[in-house]
Amino acid sequence: MKVEVETTARKTENGWADQDGFVGPFRPGNGPRNDPRGDFPTGPEVGEKMPNVQCRDSRGQTFDLHADRGNTPALFMFFRSAVW
Amino acid sequence: MQAFDDAGIRVYALSYDEQAALADFADAYNISYTFLSDSTSKVIRQFGILNTIIAEDDHPWFGIPYPGTYLLDAEGTITHKFFENNLAVRVGPEQLLRAFRGETFATQKHLPLDNVPAEVTATVFLDGEAMALSVQRELVAQLTVPLGSHVYASPAPKGIVAVDIEVDANPLLVLRDIVRPPSETHSLSGTAETFQVHHGQLALRLPVTINGMVTGAGNNNEIVIAGTVRWQSCDDEVCDLPGEYRFEIKVPVEAPVIPQIRVPDAERTIEPRAGEHFQHMVNRHKESS
Repeated sequence: MKVEVETTARKTENGWADQDGFVGPFRPGNGPRNDPRGDFPTGPEVGEKMPNVQCRDSRGQTFDLHADRGNTPALFMFFRSAVW
Repeated sequence: MQAFDDAGIRVYALSYDEQAALADFADAYNISYTFLSDSTSKVIRQFGILNTIIAEDDHPWFGIPYPGTYLLDAEGTITHKFFENNLAVRVGPEQLLRAFRGETFATQKHLPLDNVPAEVTATVFLDGEAMALSVQRELVAQLTVPLGSHVYASPAPKGIVAVDIEVDANPLLVLRDIVRPPSETHSLSGTAETFQVHHGQLALRLPVTINGMVTGAGNNNEIVIAGTVRWQSCDDEVCDLPGEYRFEIKVPVEAPVIPQIRVPDAERTIEPRAGEHFQHMVNRHKESS
């Protein structure tokens, strides 16, 4: 899938506005503000089994998604960064 | 978060941040759900959601995912997923909880006989306590249609007003498409003509998000969302004039979580190591490339 970058931008007194009117310090299409225009990959589909996730948690403990949640429903979020 | 605990739902959040950066963030904001560190973007790549429009040498941004959320049932099957083109919009907790509960995104039910208004009534409320930067909430218009009458679904026949929510122009709000309840086919007795209509009680849900500039200006702690709900009701014999309901809702705006890296060192109190974490993030890519 070829993903295009959304570069529509308008300068405002508070920063750059994107195609929806959201204003932020980065010009759309730059730095962390690289939004896709149109289709972009969103991973496994509804109805599929969630792939397992194995990594470390923020306390340094090993983590295994399906082992950790057992038989509990879960919300799994991919986010950009807690740093910037 | 309490609502997710109460519903028995585990919450996980994964990013390409280092463990220490996530731990400091969780401590700074008293976050109790599980943060996961994917500092080499291995999991992000496994899911196929690495943001590839960021150049690999664009430190330190390269390595982030297209952000999104999956909901899993007890068996681990994905029941819903939420991904947005615009990074400034993410689905709010009320919408996620409704999805977990299996509620359809708009409701419609037929009225009990002992509760029948003489004419269409409408109310509007925000599903959520407050607006917060980037978090999508829904403005809900609830209409009750008298027994034997209907209002027209969108798109309505020519010359008829479809049920709709219109929000007054406001640069501080970004609106998405209205989520409408399923309509029913209605045929006018004695003719072959059919229309799409709603009966009974129905709700239209309009996703709204506040724009960054609200808080960027630093002086808004509430926002007024105003607008009009429109409809036209008919029974089998006669159509009423178009109806409308004006609303004006004052909603508190939560203080934004400003990434600590954007706060000058001297003023950085809740997460004093934010600068170090950012510097580390820049360096680790230099080292690996």
